[in-house]
Order: sequence, then structure tokens, then C-alpha cells
Amino acid sequence: MSISVVCTGLSKTFDAHVEAVQPLDLSFIAGQTTALVGPSGCGKSTLLRMIAGLEEPSGGTVSIGGLPPSETLRKANLSVAFQDPSLLPWRSVRRNIELALTLARRPIVARDVDQLIRLVGLDGFGDTRPAELSGGMRQRAAIARALSTRPDLLLLDEPFGAVDELTRQQLANDLPAIWEARGTTTILVTHSVSEAVMLSDRVVVLSARPAEVVADISVDLPRPRRAELTRSQDFTEIVDAVFAALAEGMAEPQPKAAQ
Amino acid sequence: MTAADPALPFTHWPRAVLGPVAALVLWEVAGRVLTDAFVLAPPSAIIGYLVGNVGLIARALGVTLANAAAGFVIGNAAAVLLATLASVWPRSDAMIRGLALVVFCLPLVATGPILRVIFGPGDWPQIVLAALAVYYTTLIPLLVGLRALPSGWLDLVRSYGRGRMAALVHVRAMAALPYLVAGLQIAAPAALLGAMVGEFTGAERGMGVLTVRALRAMDVEMTWALASVATAVAVVGYLAIGWLAQRYLQDDPPIILAAPPLASRAANRFAGLATLVCVTIGALLLWWGLLELLDLSPFFAKRPLDVLDSLVLAPDAADTRATLTTALGDTAVFLLPGYLAGLAMGAGLAILIVLVPRAAGTAMPLAIALRSVPIIITAPLVVLTLGRGAVGTVVLVAIMVFFPTFVACMHGLRQAPGQVIDVFNSYAANRGQQLLRVRIPAMLPAFFAAARINVPASILAVTVVEWLATGNGIGSVMALSASLSDYDMLWSAVFVVTALSALGYAGVGAVEKRVLAAFAPEQLL
Repeated sequence: MSISVVCTGLSKTFDAHVEAVQPLDLSFIAGQTTALVGPSGCGKSTLLRMIAGLEEPSGGTVSIGGLPPSETLRKANLSVAFQDPSLLPWRSVRRNIELALTLARRPIVARDVDQLIRLVGLDGFGDTRPAELSGGMRQRAAIARALSTRPDLLLLDEPFGAVDELTRQQLANDLPAIWEARGTTTILVTHSVSEAVMLSDRVVVLSARPAEVVADISVDLPRPRRAELTRSQDFTEIVDAVFAALAEGMAEPQPKAAQ
Repeated sequence: MTAADPALPFTHWPRAVLGPVAALVLWEVAGRVLTDAFVLAPPSAIIGYLVGNVGLIARALGVTLANAAAGFVIGNAAAVLLATLASVWPRSDAMIRGLALVVFCLPLVATGPILRVIFGPGDWPQIVLAALAVYYTTLIPLLVGLRALPSGWLDLVRSYGRGRMAALVHVRAMAALPYLVAGLQIAAPAALLGAMVGEFTGAERGMGVLTVRALRAMDVEMTWALASVATAVAVVGYLAIGWLAQRYLQDDPPIILAAPPLASRAANRFAGLATLVCVTIGALLLWWGLLELLDLSPFFAKRPLDVLDSLVLAPDAADTRATLTTALGDTAVFLLPGYLAGLAMGAGLAILIVLVPRAAGTAMPLAIALRSVPIIITAPLVVLTLGRGAVGTVVLVAIMVFFPTFVACMHGLRQAPGQVIDVFNSYAANRGQQLLRVRIPAMLPAFFAAARINVPASILAVTVVEWLATGNGIGSVMALSASLSDYDMLWSAVFVVTALSALGYAGVGAVEKRVLAAFAPEQLL
């Protein structure tokens, strides 16, 4: 099922002083992949956490698939892959994935879990504990865990940070195919402009803190996208546009809280 | 510390066989030389006594162990239950911690006789005392363990729309397991200690009863044999749980030194004060409610108002207060020097050893194992060796305070981040500067944690010695009023000692805040 996400006047202020996100209206279209890019510390992750229901907004609302905000966390079928893989150290890769299924009250189908493990390139590591995996492998396990519950909404917070370049390309090839086939609405927070363009249908560029939308750039590139695409004229043009918007967002004078 | 510390032979012998063997030899020689002094029994005499009285000791040990085990189970079950409640219902946390501390500050020696009139003769007083002795040492690490986990793990649970119960079952319970084990490890000797304190203060059977008998008869061999057996059993219990943990857990149990300060989580001074008031009211209600619930006769089960009456309102209240004040003054003369000396020795030795890194590597496991020796059990030995005067009491309190302080400080000193030490090394700073600027600030929180937890511990030590031997101070007042059935005095003494103990604990916390603010502000929460 494809669901949309609508943020209305969404804002977040920490400790009454630090304004992380200023009132923001932003919609995420059902079935699309949207990348959020912006300078570090601009509030991208806070925005994502508010959408996931993990952070209470200071103002405004998030509505997922038409559910009232009070019920989203309980009822929305969403998954988050965090910056920090947050795997439980006493569980193997497989058992970590199974935990997500248990938490989401889904049946555990061993074949599906195996398939996911293979998909993220962890074949043969299903029974390995996180401590014995590299940082990139842990992040891939976390991605597999997030996908396991077949979410309608997938929230990815820099999930490829520690993944090596080659695997990253591989994942960029394989993963969108899964969430597209399922019509998953995906929101991806990333530092990497080329990754944002490569993976998404739309790039939303946020300004330095407090975050506001500087540019909303649609990525009309054919899928499936292969590594060769990065050398195409169209790709470079979009990347340049995103960079330009980023620079603009950095240069913008900081709006004051009193405004 | 005497060379005859009976704990040595049981600690990490593969690594340091030489030390214990030397200690045993020294002990044997000293024992033989001092045969006529009636203070020290050599190992050979102890073994001789044990062989000759196997049946007697085995029966007594059986009784004591059964009581300790029952108390261990009950106390730890209560700790697990309370910690779980605090985790699922965070608002109850401050209250649970506060009440737990108040109960931990109860002077066990006086609680024994009170339990005896409540339960009547039999094993229950010893079992309850054992439970009281263990629940706090398990509760505190467990409370820490249930919290000490990356926020990402909890986010994961919440992102699937699940609540605190799911977090507890799937994440917190397993994350807290090593902490639980750390608590259980300390609880094993503590349970034995609780049971034996119960027996010291008037049970019918058990190791503690035999000890009192041996002490009265000045039977040196018997006293030493009983203390050796009790210590060995305590250390074996401690090591066995550690061994089980190492076998079945992936991570080593963490070293938990003491509870984080109560007020640290409170947002401000006012919230801390509110907690204090709530906990005080809660404790008084609990006291009153429990006695009412059990429908106990007010003749021996005094309610809060009875104690208020005997301390403030009654015609002889001034006499009661005067008796208590004099006794407390006498106790303080032993308690304070012992407490301060123990702290100074513990911190000082830890600092000295850290200056010699190789020594630190060996000393740490030894010190941690020695921490498992329930010092109170050796109280009769100290009384025998140093006599019934002031020196024995002060030394016992100092020893009691020394071990946890030493372990805590060693741990704290080694907490200094390696990278910071590297920076100092890169500037060719000498060890003294490193110590002053990095290690000691890193040590301070551990030191104060030990100082806090040692307030009730040293009061327990001093009251046990006063009860058993010196006939001085508040412990003796408790013993006397228990034997005279002067329950007004007994309950008043328990109330005052508990309050002072809790105040002392809080007072050390206040000093800690001041000192940390001045010398190690980065360590303040």
C-alpha cells in the first residue's frame, strides 16, 4: 500500500532556546522516494524523528496515510533505519531481524529473512553477532531489519554512512527496486548529494539551522539507475542544482526566533 | 590489616600462588608464636578443630546457609520486582530508590531483635535480615542496568509502536542481565552476613550462635575456625556466581560501585526537596502500614507516633534523648576516625598502586575478590586480636570502609580515558601531573560513591562490634534495650540511627557536589 506523509506547520525547539526546525509544511508523495539534504546539524534527523513519532513536535502535526497524529505511532506501518545501526549485541543478525517482526507483531518466515540477509550482502553472516561485523555490515543488517516488516513508510537516516563505496553502489542498485516494487514511501536523510540524486524521485534541500526548505528539486531520471548514470549530463545537472541550493541555504542569514 | 587475612588463599591463586602461600606460612608462624596470647589460631589448629568438630560445624553451616539462601532468593526477587516496576513506571523510580535507601540504612543489629518479637523464635528473623542485606546491592545495579542502554534500542521498539513493556521484555531485560549478575555476586556474601548478624543477635542455631558462644568462652580456635569457614563460604559464593556469569554471559559483569546520587536526576533543588519529603512520608506510612497490616501488638511493635511520643512528648523523653545522645557520641568517637581512616587508606593505597602500573594489574582482581569478604563476619576475630577497647572497633570500621573504597578508587583511577593520557604523554608530562590533572579527577565520583555507601556499612560494623563486645555506644544501648524488652528505647534507637545514616549518606552527596564542582566539574551530571 502506498501512503503519503503530510507535515503541517511542523517545528521543534530544544530547551526553549535552540530552534532546530522552524514551522515547516512538507508533503511526501505516496510511493515516492524523497531525499532530505542539508548542512550537518540542520535538523534533518530531528525532522525524520518527528515523522517517525520518536520526537514530540513543539508545534504542528504529522499525518501518515491519513491517520490522525495521535494514532500514527501505534498504527502506521513504518520502519526506521538509524544512523547508528542499534543492533542488539546479544542477538545474531537473523535474530535482530526477527525482533523487528516480533515487535511489529508479524509472523516470522525464515525464507523471507534469509532472502533479506542475502539481499543486503550478508549471506553467511545470519548467525553472526553484531560485534563480529564491520560497521558497514552492521548498517546493512539494520537496513535488512527495517525492510523485514514490509513497511508502508521507510525512514532512512544516513543508513549508508559506514558502508564502503562498492557495497554502497550495490545497495543503491538493489534497494530501490524493493521499495518501488512494494510502493513504499521512502524518506532518506543523507549528506551525500550524489546518493540523494541516485536514489530518490525528489530532493528537498534544507537550510542551516533552523531548518527550512530552500529548494524542492524533482529527479526525473529513468529507473533502474546504474552506476553509469552518474556520468550522464542529466545527473550532473541535478547534482549541480542541489549543490547550488545547498550553498544558498548556508549563505542565508539566520532567521531569528522572534521573527 | 593483619597478615592472617583468611581471604587471601581463595583469590586468583593461579596468578598469585606465592602470596597466599607466604601469608599462610606467616599466619602459621604467628599463630604458633602467639599461642599463649589467646588471640590468633594458626591454620593447623583451625584445621585440627574443624576435623574434630565436623558434625557441629556442618550442622550450624547448614542452618546458616539455608537461611542465607532463602534470604538471597527473597531479597533478590524483591529487588528485581522493584527495579522492574521502576522501569515500567518511571515516576515511581525516585520513591523506590529513596525507600530502598531508608531500609538499607536500618541498623541490622537492632532489626534482628525486633524481627524476633514479630516472628517469634525460628529462622524467619535471620531470613528477613539476609533479604534486607542483599536487596539493595541488587536493586541499585539493576536500576542502572535497566537504563544504561543506547537510546537507539528504545527508539527501535517505539518506532514499531510498542511501549514500555515491550522495551522491558525485548531490550532492557537482557541489557540489564550483566548488572543483575554484578548485584547477585555482591549479594551472595551479603546474604551470609545478614543471616549471621541475625544469629549474633539471638537465634537458636547457626554459625553466628556458635561464634557468640566461642567468643564468650574465649575459645580462640573455635572463633577462628568459624570465621574462616564463613569467609570461605562467602568467597566461594561470590566466585561461583562470577564463574557462572563468565560461562553464560558474553560480557563481563560491570563493576557497580554504588548508586548514582539520588538527586542527580531531579531537575532542580525543589524537585530534590519534594522527593525527600515524599520519601520521608512514604517511609513513615510504610512503617505504620506494615505493622497495622500484620496486626502487631503496640507493646513491642512501635508505630511512628509511639516513637515521637518516647522521643519528644513523654515525661521521660528528655532522659531517652539524653541516653541516645550520649550513646551516639560514644559511637561517633569510634565511627568517625575509622570511617575517615578507611577512606583515606583506600584512596591513598589506590593512588600509590596506580603509580606502579604493573602492581595495579595484579592488585585490581585481588581487591575485587577481597571486597567479597563480609568483614562483619570477621568482627569476632578483630575483637579477639585487638581486644574489646577502642582500637579494635576503629580498626574494624576502617577495614570495613577500606575495601570498597580501595576497589572503587582503583576502578576510578583506571577510568581516565587513554587518549587523554596519551595527550599528556605527548607533552612528556610526568606521572605526578597525570595523576593530579587526569586520574584523580576521574577517580572522584567513584571515591564519593564508596564514601556514600560506606556510611550505612560503617554504622553496621560499629554497631555489631558494640553489640558483640565493647558494651559501648548505640549498639550496646540497642543490645541492652532488646534484652530488657525496652521497646520504646529500641525503636527510638533504630529510628534515630536510620535517620542519621540516611542523613550521612545525603551529606556525603552534598560534599561530593561541592568538591566535584570545584575540582572536576566535568564529572557533574
